[in-house]
Amino acid sequence: MNEKKERYEVILAGSGGQGLALAGIMLGEAAMLEGKVVVQTQSYGIASRGGLSLAEVIIDQEEIIYQQVQKPDIILALTEEALEKYAAWAEKGAPVFYDTTLAKARAGANLTGYPFTKMASDLGNTAAVNILALGALSAAGRMVKTESLASVIRKHFQGNAGELNLKALQRGVELIMRP
Amino acid sequence: MVIGEAAIRAGCRFYAGYPITPQNEIPEYMAEHLRQVEGGVFIQSESEVAAIHMVAGASAAGARSMTSSSSPGISLKQEGISSLAACQLPAVIVNMMRGGPGLGNISPSQGDYFQATRGGGHGDYRVIVLGPATAQEMADLTMDAFTLADQYRTPVMILADGMMGQMMEPVVFKEPQPRVYPEIYIMKGAGAGKSKFIRGLILDPLDMEEHNWTLDRKYQVIARKETRHELYGTDDAELILVAYGTGARIAKGAIKRLRNTGLKVGLFRPITLWPFPTNELRDLAKKVENFLVFELSTGQMLEDVRLALQGFARIGFHGRPGGVVPTPAELANVVTRQYDRKQGIIEHH
Repeated sequence: MNEKKERYEVILAGSGGQGLALAGIMLGEAAMLEGKVVVQTQSYGIASRGGLSLAEVIIDQEEIIYQQVQKPDIILALTEEALEKYAAWAEKGAPVFYDTTLAKARAGANLTGYPFTKMASDLGNTAAVNILALGALSAAGRMVKTESLASVIRKHFQGNAGELNLKALQRGVELIMRP
Repeated sequence: MVIGEAAIRAGCRFYAGYPITPQNEIPEYMAEHLRQVEGGVFIQSESEVAAIHMVAGASAAGARSMTSSSSPGISLKQEGISSLAACQLPAVIVNMMRGGPGLGNISPSQGDYFQATRGGGHGDYRVIVLGPATAQEMADLTMDAFTLADQYRTPVMILADGMMGQMMEPVVFKEPQPRVYPEIYIMKGAGAGKSKFIRGLILDPLDMEEHNWTLDRKYQVIARKETRHELYGTDDAELILVAYGTGARIAKGAIKRLRNTGLKVGLFRPITLWPFPTNELRDLAKKVENFLVFELSTGQMLEDVRLALQGFARIGFHGRPGGVVPTPAELANVVTRQYDRKQGIIEHH
């Protein structure tokens, strides 16, 4: 994943309430800041908490005709259910990053586990798990610059929440850059 | 979300609705933003039925008015939509279709085409139905919907699906057109003038017949003047897909793949679903023999395509009902199989 690609298809999967739709929107906005074409779709269950929740983001240099991910380049799975659904993509070569706090650890190529939720909790609030994991994901997949994500975070969050989320972003990036 | 912003920019000042997935992004946006504009009113009503009748009231009082829902909620609103049509009141109704029938599920679907394009409620009427395929078009068509509703004093429906209801894309908002409408029917207090009466109850059959013909003449004008469609890769096409909304996006993805393998496939995309661009589609049959209708349903728009093309061309069909959204690759495979038959596409249904 070291070369810059023209197009990225990203899946963020987990459970309702983990903030994945927002993470997808923020990833999309960061890409827009960089002048890219973006589509974000989301789907979630009928409850506001729990149930499989999914955000998909496509980042491209040109018009995106079909708006859903067909062959993901990188996947985030924040729950066991999400990991079960997407682990198979790791075998097909798509890096899958998952949360060892909530999902069982697994061995295998392209499967990388970090305790995202625990780390967010250590920072002060589990609610920052979406940004922390997004930081790690974008550092690994290089879809957008960390600075672009930071700008978007500053736009969405003010005060303490802003600082916490910027810290969470940095923590996530460091997982990849300085393991 | 984009629909909410476009509506406010177009001058919508009244929204009433009742929550249902997958369209809660619209009321969520309206709740936050409509109250920030002068005269803006947002109401989460006690039911879908109440919402549509509140819209009727606000419209009669002269406000640009809107409601939104998803399939089961739209069924509930039909009494009010029929009423709006009867009373010739402008309103915009958004349906983010989900899998049905019944409560069904919350996945994207196109199973409400019949309901939308044939009026939906009881009685002899139609509503203008617009089928956007991108976020940009949702913005543009929402603005146009308010203009059309005023121009023809009729309810206009935006018919999209759960995919579009929960999707974000960059959008550029166009300048809204200034509102032009006959104020004569608006109820804002008689003052010293004559009192007005808007009603859908016309007990004398002869009067009601005359009212029906009045409405029908209006629908005929709309059918003549307001059809919209998009052509994509049809110039050299040997086979043309007919699809709308999210189905059309899947079809475009499939066409891109098929063109890479040398198959000459194009797309006819109706943007107005009622009035259906019948003549424009029939024109294509002068050059092209094979058509394939693709819908996220068991085949509803298929009937309008048959009305346009029966006897002029061969019509095939591929559908995925119930909330399944197939990939462009699947549709490309279907087309490849059909294309291979030297005798052309055989209609199966």
